[in-house]
Amino acid sequence: MSAVVPIGIVLLLAYAALCRVRVFSAFLEGAERALPLLKKLLPCLAAMLTAIGVLRDSGALDALTGFLRPVTEAIGVDARLLPLILLRPLSGSAAIAALSDLFTEYGPDSAVGMTGSVLLGASETLLYTLALYFGSVGIRKTRFTVPLALIASFVSVAAGLLFSRLFFG
Amino acid sequence: MDMVFFALLCIGIVTELFTKGGDATLASLIGGAGAAVQNTVTMAGGMLFWMGMLGVLEKTPLMNALSGALRKPIAFLFPDAGKASGAIALNLSCNMLGLGNAATPYGLEAMRLMEAENPHKGVATDSMCVLLAVNASCLELFPATLLGLRQSFGSAHAAAVVLPVVLSSACSTAVTVLLCRLCIHR
Repeated sequence: MSAVVPIGIVLLLAYAALCRVRVFSAFLEGAERALPLLKKLLPCLAAMLTAIGVLRDSGALDALTGFLRPVTEAIGVDARLLPLILLRPLSGSAAIAALSDLFTEYGPDSAVGMTGSVLLGASETLLYTLALYFGSVGIRKTRFTVPLALIASFVSVAAGLLFSRLFFG
Repeated sequence: MDMVFFALLCIGIVTELFTKGGDATLASLIGGAGAAVQNTVTMAGGMLFWMGMLGVLEKTPLMNALSGALRKPIAFLFPDAGKASGAIALNLSCNMLGLGNAATPYGLEAMRLMEAENPHKGVATDSMCVLLAVNASCLELFPATLLGLRQSFGSAHAAAVVLPVVLSSACSTAVTVLLCRLCIHR
C-alpha cells in the first residue's frame, strides 16, 4: 500500500515527459504557488496558535472539553477535535493551525490526528468562500445558498466522523 | 473571525492569569507565536513538493480531461450557466485536486460571467447558488495540502486518510447536488 503514492508520482512524471511537458519548470511553477499560501498561513498560525496555546496552558480548554464531554461523547466526537470543527467553516488557515496543534500534541497517526485530517480534507471554508464570491460581484440576495452550504458542511463533518470511525476504529 | 479571535485570546489570558500568573501567561503567548514559525517551516516542505507535482499535473492533458469529463454534470447542475461553464469546470477540477487557491480565480471569473448575464442584478441566480453549495461540499479526489501536512509532521501512513476523505466528501456532494435540484425546481 505504501508504494502506491511513489509509483503514482513516477507514472505522472513519465506521462508528463511523454506529453512533452517541461517537467522541471512545471514543478517550479506549481511549487511557487505554495509560497503565498505559506506567507498567508504564518500570521494566521501565529494568531490562532497563540490563542489556542494560552487557552490550553490556562486549563480553560480542558475545562471546556470536560464540560462538553457528556454531549460530545453522546454523539461520538472526540472533544479535542472541537476547535478544528468550529474553526473550519470560518477560516482554512485557522483550521490548519488547529490541526497542526493536534499533530504536535498527539502525532499525525494518532486516532485524533487521523480523524482531524479527514475532517480538514472533507470540508471547506464556507463563510470565507461565500463572502468572497458573492462580494466580488455585489450579490446581496443569496437566496437558498447559506442554508444549503451550511447543510453541506454539516454533512461533510458527520460523514467524516463516520468514515473515520469505520476506517480507523 | 474577529470575534472568535478576541474571545479565545481574552478568555485564555484572563484564565491563565488566575490559574498560573503573569509570567506563565506571557510565556504561553510568545510560545504560541514561536510554534507558528516552527509549524510553518515544518509544513513548508510537504506543501512545496505537492504543489510542485500538481504544477506538473496541470501541464498534462489530464487536467483538461478532468474538466472535459465534468462537462455533462455541469450542464445538468448549471442549466443557466451560459458562458461561465468553462470557468466552472476549471473551478471544480481544481477543488477536486485540493487546489483551493488555484480554484478561487476561476470561481470568481465564473461569478463575474454569470452576473453579467443576470437579469436581476444583485440577486443570486440558480447557478450561483449551486456553485457556492457545491464548493462548500467540495468533492475531494486528492487532498494534496493535507498529505503534505501529514508527511511534514512525520506521519508513517500519510495516505491512509485519502480514501475516507474521498468517501465523506462524496457523500456531502451527493446530498448537496440532490438538495440543489430540489431548490431549483421549487
